[in-house]
Amino acid sequence: MLSPYRVLDLTNERGQLCGQILGDLGADVIQIEPPGGSPVRRRGPFVDDVPHPDRSLQWWACNRNKRGVTLDLDSGRGQEMLRRLAASADFLIESETPGVQAQRGLGHDELAALNPRLVYVSITPFGQTGPKAHWADSDLVLMAASGPLLMTGDEDRAPLRVSVPQAYLHAGAEAAGAALVANHERQRSGQGQHVDVSAQQAIALATQSYVLASAAGFFDAQRMAGGAKVGPFTVRFVFPASDGHVSITFLFGPSAGPFTRRLMHYVHEEGFCDVATRDKDWIGFFEKLMNGDETMTELERIKETVADCTRTKTKAALMQIALERDLLMAPVATTREVVANAQLGHRGYWQTLAHPELGRDVVYPGPFARPSAMPIRYRRRPPTVGEHNHEIYGSQLGLGADEIAALATAGVI
Amino acid sequence: MTAAALADVKVVDLMWAIAGPAATRVLADYGATVVRIESTTRTDICRTVAPFRDMPPGPESAVLFHNVNTGKHMMTLDLASAEGREVFLDLVRWADVVTEAYTAGTMRALGLDYDTLRAVNPGIIMLSTCLMGQTGPLASFAGFGNLSASITGFGHLCGWPDRAPAGPFGAYTDYVAPRFSLATILAALDHRRRTGEGQYIDLAQGEASIHFLAPAMLDYTVNGRVQGPTGNDDSEAAPHGVYPAAGSDRWLALAVRDDAQFAALAGVIGHADLARDPRFATAAARREHRAALDALIADWTRQHDVHAAERVLQDAGVAAAVCANSADMAADPQLVHREHFRELAHPTYGTTPVEGSRFRLSRTPAVVAGAAPTLGRDNQDVLTTILGYDEDRITDLVIAGALG
Repeated sequence: MLSPYRVLDLTNERGQLCGQILGDLGADVIQIEPPGGSPVRRRGPFVDDVPHPDRSLQWWACNRNKRGVTLDLDSGRGQEMLRRLAASADFLIESETPGVQAQRGLGHDELAALNPRLVYVSITPFGQTGPKAHWADSDLVLMAASGPLLMTGDEDRAPLRVSVPQAYLHAGAEAAGAALVANHERQRSGQGQHVDVSAQQAIALATQSYVLASAAGFFDAQRMAGGAKVGPFTVRFVFPASDGHVSITFLFGPSAGPFTRRLMHYVHEEGFCDVATRDKDWIGFFEKLMNGDETMTELERIKETVADCTRTKTKAALMQIALERDLLMAPVATTREVVANAQLGHRGYWQTLAHPELGRDVVYPGPFARPSAMPIRYRRRPPTVGEHNHEIYGSQLGLGADEIAALATAGVI
Repeated sequence: MTAAALADVKVVDLMWAIAGPAATRVLADYGATVVRIESTTRTDICRTVAPFRDMPPGPESAVLFHNVNTGKHMMTLDLASAEGREVFLDLVRWADVVTEAYTAGTMRALGLDYDTLRAVNPGIIMLSTCLMGQTGPLASFAGFGNLSASITGFGHLCGWPDRAPAGPFGAYTDYVAPRFSLATILAALDHRRRTGEGQYIDLAQGEASIHFLAPAMLDYTVNGRVQGPTGNDDSEAAPHGVYPAAGSDRWLALAVRDDAQFAALAGVIGHADLARDPRFATAAARREHRAALDALIADWTRQHDVHAAERVLQDAGVAAAVCANSADMAADPQLVHREHFRELAHPTYGTTPVEGSRFRLSRTPAVVAGAAPTLGRDNQDVLTTILGYDEDRITDLVIAGALG
């Protein structure tokens, strides 16, 4: 869908997903790395646990459907080449600390003067300006500064992050939509603009609006294993299975209550609760907790009857029961189980890309969406270091093989 | 004055819950006209989800609902009635984009599937988003993003290695998927501008969200390794963790990326000698002797106010941050600078708090103006201004019960 557009992707470990989303949607994305390769390539895990810039799975995760070149943006020659590439590009994505690109003569203002149509996307921890614009960051630190960390984990231990870093995925995905908003506007005005994405603000979406709790005069959400505490109430989602755990949306009210009622009928049929427990007012249970007709102690007892029931079944059996009885229950799946998931298999989700440089095929997570007119295709495996130097510097900048070789010798590419 | 970025985009929004409305909220922020349709008998579940503005909770006081529906027009329509469907199809004729987030098959059952919509507006772009996709054995599987987060691996990959899984907070994939929906809708609009071609988009929340676990998925498909939860450990940074500060449930997140940062940290906590200690000379060594190091750091953090600790470490160039609660966030000078928190006029509460746009556009900034309307507030406005219905037609609709 975005095939007319060329994207220069200068991102480091911050925000590489943005370019991949645009690439998946059809754009021609050129990832620009320092000579020797992006620092992301030094991060594991690696293929067969052999560290090598062309074997980093961290790299593979966010660089499909991109071409790759190397270029030293700290050298005058490299900066000049980048300016020439930017003169005809539609988007540029970068993730340096604010001010770094301007010092190189590659900031928004400098490149907009060369190419007024350029949509220039900056992805940073806290935004381009403000008192924390130059603060040191990391995945953990950003998850803390944005709110989700304090709400996640076991109540008797420290707040907890997701084991796979999430911060810059939120920022990168946010940036893709932001870039396309600017692109839409450009069709009318003929002008690009500076898109300034703050990871902190992007991640705050993952608080489920609890970031607004104090402004609204409400309780904060507090962490609790497998759920959360809100004021005097606890919500528990994770329940035991015989071979792991399942998640159950054990909630009340007009929307969720009927699911809980059906769940309690199942728990009763399996012999784990009495009729009186089964037939409680699941629609109005929250109001009864509020007015004292029900108690948290009773709710905890009820959840234990549910746990006693689920503990005797496998995750797969409980998923089947959820489908048959229309329950809000699903397995807490390992990556092996995700890859084997029958639904994803039925939909042909997983995609295979050949990696001839390693003599193997690799199975990747599949298209994030299925647009009927222009399906997302996996056209290119992630590039090896400098793989498209000749192709791009030849066709885009008109450089001959000798000149490209000289640039390599000089350490510019 | 420059027109809003998406001033020409018209959206009929049948999204509900979180992931869907969060995507169309961004369209509204940047100037699209978004007509959100609700049922009075099956109201949006987010109207019953905390946090609430004041107590007791009510359908107009749900902060999450307000936050993901800011700037939209809100009308009620009974899509099960023939009259209601006629109004809906008139909106489809007007619109560029139709979005819906019902359980797969619902639109077909209502007689409002893509083929029907395309028949009245050949260029229409329709996006359907549900948990696991429109086809397959789990197509009808409904629920919040906590369930698709469990099915797609997030639940297992968030926890302590010696404990049952903690899982990420709340309906996690509901916060991941809207970005993919937004980008796909905007790409489809671009495609239509160039080709005239509309299309149907099936976006499964689970399938989109798996991209946030891609390295772990590849570790399995390539290396056969099933990653487990690792607490707050990091494969590279050391020390790396969350440390207790003075006060009740106050915590400091800390990540040391290199030896220079470690030397700075050691100086701040009054143990400059640690930087010369062979046990802590490299990241690998620091990971090996982590218990001793974590104890020394915690001895220092426990004695300090968490905000003061954050400040002194950041001043020394060490990545550190308060584990922020909502009061910390509201007072965060950076978020204040970015105008992240907004108070919008509200008929019941005077004002209601929402978040601003999560990004800035330099020439055509977001306009976060209208609080999410009360149920059905804009019925009259949509029917007259957008659809051009006269009073008789509107009266007929009211009598027929189509606006319910």
